[in-house]
Amino acid sequence: MKASEVKVDLDELKKFKNQNARERLEFIDFWVNYIKTHSDREWSEQQNVLIDSQVT
Amino acid sequence: MEYNKEKREIKLDKVLSNLDKFVLDFVRILKEHINYVIVSGYVSILLGRSRSTEDIDLLIPTIKKEEFEKIWKKIHENGFECMNTSNHVEAFEMLKEHAIRFFKKGIPTPNIEYKTIKTDLDKYSYENRIKVILNNKELFISPIELQIAYKLFLASDKIDEELQPDKDIEDARHLYKMFKEKINKEEFLIFINKLNVKKRLILLE
Repeated sequence: MKASEVKVDLDELKKFKNQNARERLEFIDFWVNYIKTHSDREWSEQQNVLIDSQVT
Repeated sequence: MEYNKEKREIKLDKVLSNLDKFVLDFVRILKEHINYVIVSGYVSILLGRSRSTEDIDLLIPTIKKEEFEKIWKKIHENGFECMNTSNHVEAFEMLKEHAIRFFKKGIPTPNIEYKTIKTDLDKYSYENRIKVILNNKELFISPIELQIAYKLFLASDKIDEELQPDKDIEDARHLYKMFKEKINKEEFLIFINKLNVKKRLILLE
């Protein structure tokens, strides 16, 4: 498919963006619950996988 | 994680990330000379938020040129360099207008955004800072109530029209959900009103 043939439905993309934002907020709640129910060392090991992949 | 709001102290026994080590390395140099407060994104990350950052915002009081020169020397002796200039007199003048950034020699990220206290919000953060005991080391961060309100303020104006992914809203929600039983509601609402972000409160729940 050529770039010129791609159809873009902006309304649909806005819905996806909105849905993604909601899912990200839901993940915050899930993650906070994880922190509250696990030891600092457990949750920080998980967190460090993300951080240390970007900061060496 | 334990938050003792009377003592304004949070105890953390986490496995240090490379970002934590970087920050601890820098503030270890500072604390021999001057007090400071860490604000904004790294506060959320230190307290568990699952994201990284390229800069750590740090506020310090205005100091004399001679004191700044001592700190400048120590920072450089410990392997950091300044992005903006290699001259301490220039750096001191720059601080009157804007932040300067320090990073480990040859490694631009992460970096410390080093700013002097200018606004009342800066002053409040500094005067009401919270001590974080991170394993056996200490860090000082902005009050949680102000952090949440300020993060709501920093979010894109478009958030008022439609929900969209926004790291500042996510940071605010993380801190709120972590500490909502312990925050000082009165102080929190004062900042919510002063920063005119009342309609964004719905994004925290």
